[in-house]
Amino acid sequence: MREVSHFVTLMFSQRALASLARRTYVGGQQTARHGRRNFSQTLKRQSQFGKDRNTIGTLTPASAAVFVATGVGLYFYFRYEKQKLLEEREKERSSRQYGRPQIGGPFSLTRSTGETFTEKDLLGKWSLVYFGFTNCPDICPAELDKVGTILNKLEPALGKTFLPVFISVDPARDTPERVGRYLADFHPAFVGLVGTYEAIKGACKAYRVYFSTPPNADPQGDYLVDHSIFVYLMDPEGQFVEAFGQNTEADQIAARITEEVARYGK
Amino acid sequence: MGWFSWGNKNQDISEPSRQNRQKCWETRDSYFDCLDRANIIKPGDEGNSCAKEKQLYEDNCAKSWITYFNQRRVLADAQKDRLAQAQAQADSARK
Repeated sequence: MREVSHFVTLMFSQRALASLARRTYVGGQQTARHGRRNFSQTLKRQSQFGKDRNTIGTLTPASAAVFVATGVGLYFYFRYEKQKLLEEREKERSSRQYGRPQIGGPFSLTRSTGETFTEKDLLGKWSLVYFGFTNCPDICPAELDKVGTILNKLEPALGKTFLPVFISVDPARDTPERVGRYLADFHPAFVGLVGTYEAIKGACKAYRVYFSTPPNADPQGDYLVDHSIFVYLMDPEGQFVEAFGQNTEADQIAARITEEVARYGK
Repeated sequence: MGWFSWGNKNQDISEPSRQNRQKCWETRDSYFDCLDRANIIKPGDEGNSCAKEKQLYEDNCAKSWITYFNQRRVLADAQKDRLAQAQAQADSARK
């Protein structure tokens, strides 16, 4: 609607200018130079009809009608344009829902506390899923600390609606006890998951995660696991929302999650 | 030898704790600082000049971690060179 009011202001100021110009002209000084060419044409025409000279400004019933009609026309035009824009935005939003990557899916693993944990246990909370291993030199601990920081930033405002999940990609070495002790260093809400090689492989496949542990890895061995290092944000319905990489700072992620939570609540 | 002695008889191999990691990173950093001072990029090329730092590093980090950190140091340096080269090329192309 701002466009309409701008236009109205413009029309008023043009009218004022025209009447000013005409008065100068009528006053006998031929210096209506600041008027545009069409103005001076109007002025000439108007000066031929001396009768008009005494009307207030250029407001005649005819010009008033044109003015009102233009205003009404513009009002409907802008209303129509606005509607069209809203429809386009709506369409874009729905297509984005359809454009979600297929990340996440069924899995069945064991919690570090011993219970079975499946994808259904993710429902009802916003989960932050990370794949790693306890012998990880530096990236996993940094990312897990980041998840802890994010939770500490979000929980005061949004409550305990978040579930941080750590899935071990080192089935040979990571026992439930190890994972449990390991995660105690990070955030108390962390759920640690372990499983057989096949079960872990299945979970990784669902999340499109790559990991390099061989099926016959030595449980006593000193090796590293190469793996994907994204933090996956899943909504309370277990749908994938976004994957955050190593270079996205905790603040950015927290802001992004806040945005998603607000949008979801609508 | 601490928590990284995989080969010993102790069956309970514990996971690295926050303190273990911190200690490893610190000894790594002081070893790498020593290499920097000696103008050495590739760990192992320094002869005996960083022996004390190297010993601490090896005592506090697992072999796999040491291999990983050492490789990363060399790679990061190569990458720095490549980036500098690319930048120089871009600069000269602009002239």
